[in-house]
Amino acid sequence: MSHVLEIRQLTKKFGDFVAVDNMSLNVREGEIFGFLGANGAGKSTTINMIASLLRVTKGEINLLGKNIEKHSKFAKMNIGIVPQDIAIYEDMTAYENVRFFAGLYGLRGSLLRERTEEALEFVGLGDKSKSYPKNFSGGMKRRLNIACAIAHRPKLIIMDEPTVGIDPHSRNYILNSVRKLNDMGCTIIYTSHYMEEVEEICTRIAIVDHGKVIAEGSKEQLKAIITDTKEIWIGIRTDEPLNLQALKAIAGVTAVLQEENTIKIVSKAEINNLNRIIQQLIKDQVEIRSVEEQAPNLETVFLTLTGRNLRD
Amino acid sequence: MNIWNIAVKEIKSSLREKRTFMFMLALPLILMLILGSALSNAFDDTRTVGDMRLLYKSDGTNEQVSTGWHAFITAIENEGVEVVQAGPGTDGNEEVRADRYTGYAVVSDDGIEFYGSSKNAIGSNILAGMLTVFADRYSLASAAYQVDPETALATITTAGQNDEFIRETTLHPNKKPRSIDYYAMAMTTMIGLYAMINASYLFSGERTNKTAIRLMAAPVSKGAIFTGKVIGCTVINLFFVLVVFLVSKFVFQADWGNHYGMVILVLLTEVVLAVSLGLGISFLFKGEGIRAINNIFTQVASFAGGAYFPIDQSGGFISLLSNFSPLHWVNTGLMQIIYTDNPTGAWFAITMNVSFATAFIIFSVFTVRRREGAFV
Ligand SMILES: Nc1ncnc2c1ncn2[C@@H]1O[C@H](COP(=O)(O)OP(=O)(O)OP(=O)(O)O)[C@@H](O)[C@H]1O
Ligand SMILES: [Mg+2]
Repeated sequence: MSHVLEIRQLTKKFGDFVAVDNMSLNVREGEIFGFLGANGAGKSTTINMIASLLRVTKGEINLLGKNIEKHSKFAKMNIGIVPQDIAIYEDMTAYENVRFFAGLYGLRGSLLRERTEEALEFVGLGDKSKSYPKNFSGGMKRRLNIACAIAHRPKLIIMDEPTVGIDPHSRNYILNSVRKLNDMGCTIIYTSHYMEEVEEICTRIAIVDHGKVIAEGSKEQLKAIITDTKEIWIGIRTDEPLNLQALKAIAGVTAVLQEENTIKIVSKAEINNLNRIIQQLIKDQVEIRSVEEQAPNLETVFLTLTGRNLRD
Repeated sequence: MNIWNIAVKEIKSSLREKRTFMFMLALPLILMLILGSALSNAFDDTRTVGDMRLLYKSDGTNEQVSTGWHAFITAIENEGVEVVQAGPGTDGNEEVRADRYTGYAVVSDDGIEFYGSSKNAIGSNILAGMLTVFADRYSLASAAYQVDPETALATITTAGQNDEFIRETTLHPNKKPRSIDYYAMAMTTMIGLYAMINASYLFSGERTNKTAIRLMAAPVSKGAIFTGKVIGCTVINLFFVLVVFLVSKFVFQADWGNHYGMVILVLLTEVVLAVSLGLGISFLFKGEGIRAINNIFTQVASFAGGAYFPIDQSGGFISLLSNFSPLHWVNTGLMQIIYTDNPTGAWFAITMNVSFATAFIIFSVFTVRRREGAFV
């Protein structure tokens, strides 16, 4: 299977701070490649290097077999980026926005017109082409943000959290668009904080933490990491942060995390330690409201591997 | 081609913004009318240029100079300037301050020192202009003197006798600006300076808008983006300036002299200077800092450069400050063109504009090239 994108020993430093640390990964043709990581994991930094927005400190990135620094124009022509922040001109109509950016990719005349209309149609803004984005809802702006990235028909589309802060309708629309783009032959890199989204649409996933890929594979492969793991959620009455060090010391427990009035505990499945956990909480005078064991999902994988929640 | 796309986009965006129209067209034209009519009495009170009185003292021992000087005096007396030699013990500066003379000149072998009246700014500007021409001649002559005294002497004397000093500045004794003329010029140049505000958002705007990301991700060089934006911004601001200029000329009937080409060249270089100044500021400061510097600079430069009223050049803080205002040299240059009918009088302004513009552009290009992702 051919690789659309090869990242080899990629490092990015900001001063002394290492944001991306010797990262290697491949994205194959036709994939929807999920990029999962907590805030500050280095997702955007990696993406920005792929899109030539940041210089590479060390290592290399190849797009369709060509080094992106040596073949900068080629790389840029074949990449479409949907930035994390909405990047559109409020004082230009939806149509003018798409046409302007597509024009930067060398499209002219009737082809430019066609592609612009096609992109707007694709994100469901065909009837809004003459409207100004300042009157758009968050979801519509996100969709326009996507249209601006696809009109030049890139081989690789990079989406950096394209569904942040929007209504469920727009979100579904966007997820469907991603699938449709993929069906049309685009390879997609998709980052998100929403585990369900990634589980739903990505064919392969990399989990990034502290600038490193700590796990990579299909969701089945990733879940296989945690077949010997269970996740217990304990509902408590308070949402004050508690000191949970004692729980971590209990045999089998690999990660403990409090999220408002839920304590999430990841533990080895074969060790029966639920009693000890509950005893500890009673001893700490924590009022328990519920206890449930979760079916392992990507969230568990993430928690197991990083000891942290995906979302803050 | 992309340069063109980017420039056109810039122009379109500006034309679409109602605020820009208010600010760049309505505001200067309204101010022009208000100040022009409200202050017209103040302007009518100033003396006519025909009333110019020059007091002088000659310390020179050099014969060439004094021969030249006397020829010069005769020539300007013929043009209606009253010339009086200061008696011993006269305090020339005091005489001017007391408004008995338009200016006081001390002629020595080293050159001419001139002290002009602030009460008759136009008159003293014209006197200063004529003296400058004389001084130029004189130093030319003294340079020539070292080679050939005969020719040098000839230069000075012939010059004087032929009224050449005067013809060079072609004095119109009764020509003086009405207040509408003054404010037509002052407001037009003020709007030219305001181009810096627009320019300072050229890149910082893309940064806050996040659209810089798209520009940088597109297969377009930083150079093309930079050039396109600068051209677009210059064109649109020059357009505003020219509209104000044309309305003031044809609707308000303001006097812009006879050398429109030169006037437009001064305005063009002023806009280029303002645009590059704005760019420089946008790379030196961030966010609120850009806005603050813009506000302070445009206000102080407008005030000190004579946008609201002519600045007293006789000394003091404001006149010192005015030297740092581009409007000061631009307005002085335009006055030379309009009121002394001397198209070359603005070369100083043009040179200043172009030099500062070049410096700021070089600085900006350097920053853009060096900065990672340029403006992301
Ligand atoms: N220009 C920069 N200068 C210095 N540090 C930076 C810069 N850009 C990012 N960083 C740091 O690098 C780290 C990785 O940031 P990055 O934006 O890549 O994270 P992310 O995974 O995209 O997070 P998020 O989910 O919040 O978008 C963070 O700690 C961030 O503070
Ligand atoms: Mg990010």
